[in-house]
Amino acid sequence: MIKIGFYQGCCFQGQDAHMFETMKETFKKLDVELELLEETTCCGGNTIDEENRKLSYAINARNIALAEARGLDMLVSCNTCYMVIAKAKRALDTDEELREEINNLLREEGLEYKGTSRIYHLLDFFRDAVGYEKIRKAVKRPLKGWKVAAYYGCHVLYPKEIAIDNSDNPSSLQEILKALGAEVIDDYEHKDACCGYHSFFTDKSMTLKKLNRILGSVKKMGADIVATPCPLCFKSFDIYQLNMEKPPMVPSSFLPELMAYAFGIDKETSGLAHHLVKVEKD
Amino acid sequence: METVKLQVFRYDPEKDAAPYYKEYEVPVEGTLLNALLYIKDNLDPTLAFRAFCRSEVCGSCSMKVNGKTKLACKTPMKELVETWKGKPLRIDPLSHMNVIKDLVVDIDKPIEKMKTLIPWLVPDPRVVPTDPMHESIIYPEEMKAYRDQIHCMLCFSCYSACEAVEDNSRYRGPFAFSRAYRFQVDRRDIETAKEKRIRYAISGGLWSCVQCQKCLYVCPKGVKPAEDIQNLRGQSVKKGFTDKPGARKLKHFVDWIYATGQINRLYLPEEVYGNKEAREKLTKAYQEMGVEVWEVPKPTKGLMKFRDIYLEILSKENKALELDFSHVRKIDKMVSDIFKADICTIVDRAHERGESAKGLIGKLKELLGGK
Ligand code: SF4
Ligand code: SF4
Ligand code: FES
Repeated sequence: MIKIGFYQGCCFQGQDAHMFETMKETFKKLDVELELLEETTCCGGNTIDEENRKLSYAINARNIALAEARGLDMLVSCNTCYMVIAKAKRALDTDEELREEINNLLREEGLEYKGTSRIYHLLDFFRDAVGYEKIRKAVKRPLKGWKVAAYYGCHVLYPKEIAIDNSDNPSSLQEILKALGAEVIDDYEHKDACCGYHSFFTDKSMTLKKLNRILGSVKKMGADIVATPCPLCFKSFDIYQLNMEKPPMVPSSFLPELMAYAFGIDKETSGLAHHLVKVEKD
Repeated sequence: METVKLQVFRYDPEKDAAPYYKEYEVPVEGTLLNALLYIKDNLDPTLAFRAFCRSEVCGSCSMKVNGKTKLACKTPMKELVETWKGKPLRIDPLSHMNVIKDLVVDIDKPIEKMKTLIPWLVPDPRVVPTDPMHESIIYPEEMKAYRDQIHCMLCFSCYSACEAVEDNSRYRGPFAFSRAYRFQVDRRDIETAKEKRIRYAISGGLWSCVQCQKCLYVCPKGVKPAEDIQNLRGQSVKKGFTDKPGARKLKHFVDWIYATGQINRLYLPEEVYGNKEAREKLTKAYQEMGVEVWEVPKPTKGLMKFRDIYLEILSKENKALELDFSHVRKIDKMVSDIFKADICTIVDRAHERGESAKGLIGKLKELLGGK
């Protein structure tokens, strides 16, 4: 049994609270216990950095320190949260002055950033801590005949300092999808384009152009569904897609949903039943 | 000797009807630039590419390998072969610029775009002596603010890889914003120029960057354009350019995270666009799907201490926005109404809340307008 601190960010509470329950169930099947780090706050979404970078570092030093206080590594299940927190960790680990300054503030809450906890994203957690074999063994309902387009999203591959896989030619997502029994499509034209999530409020037409390119090229390859390890990319695909003039109506999924389904959890509970672009395949 | 196949983009607009790829077998030795020189010396003298210093200084040898931007003289062939597992390597010219011949592109466009951001020092006569006999001193401490940016060698790797350039032709480019920022934090540069630069940056797409971080990834010199863009956005807000969706989004983050430890995605569209409808529509859409929606701003344990840390940093640092306490009080009131207690009590009882949270859903739907 592996126990890991779960960082919830905004994507696993509020309107998406069910997602945390699903994750807990799914991870149980891999002998992983998720311990919710409920005192953690928003990572700042890579937006607080515009206000003040040190604030972003401090918020995330606190988030990490909360996992460290429990003696746990931390699992961050969102690409952007992962990137922001991993960047903060790097800054804190390499800049002693910064660490000291922030620790002086954290001490008031009885916390200290030590740098002892590893920050995992889903993909490297599955690869390094769980192992693909274990995933394969947990599969009850192989995704036979599912053509799944693998989409990583930017913030687990770039920048290099925080990348969890080979940034140019990553393989962890394909390995996981293969373990689920799916037929993986990873050579579609715009697999490396940004999903546009973060420009939806600031330059909407850019988001829609990106979705058009990505989902268009996915469709061309005849994929049944897109799988991404990022809840934000997933939202861009599932929700923002509908803002397109002619939505290609390509179904998408957040990776753990597909895993839940392959592990025998029903479509309703896995979340797959609730997408705006219906997941017809079963 | 180990070899690998390079499929090299070939195109001479004066002769060829269309571009094509030509395959060459090269030794897996040295850098990609060595491989190209090998082709030129031994296999095909007609191949055109740019390179000069061979040591990551001149910035002329950027190109794409299997779609990924690389500086040829910095990229070991071994690494490429390992990454792509021995598969052929497709070599293309940089994106977003016209091809002059083969791997040589026309860099005029990005250069012209950069110039619109005043990428030079406009001396402030109060700081920079006009008398050439007097030195204009910069202290090492000051230089830290633009230590990385000055290493940009205009290789255009970031311009080629940029997601914003790809879908917004007006977008000035990562390196251009980094150059601009470099002067924004130079004490010798006059305030009026700084103001203008921000204006031009905004019209040049400052808020269009998607923060994909590809510019950080591809830059051979460790420049961090995406972060400079964030800094410029902060400066623009500080200078009063707050009437932008991006600036309002920032305000949402700053206020809500302070108030509740979280952003509030139901209120975000409303606070960015004044769009109440989005909140109502979202709530309704979820209800129709049978999903319980409640975007309760859920104050976390330790929130009061968290607020202290937050304020402490903001009070010491050069911030973009002031925390809007009247907004924070409104948020507090909303939270108090929902939980029927004041914010401190709610935070104290946070641990008891887990299970009972679901009971709040009906109430919240009412409050959040999802009736
Ligand atoms: S982070 Fe912004 S500037 Fe950098 S490559 Fe992406 S879109 Fe372009
Ligand atoms: S910022 Fe880096 S990648 Fe961009 S042009 Fe300058 S040196 Fe090249
Ligand atoms: S040849 Fe000068 S940077 Fe590569």
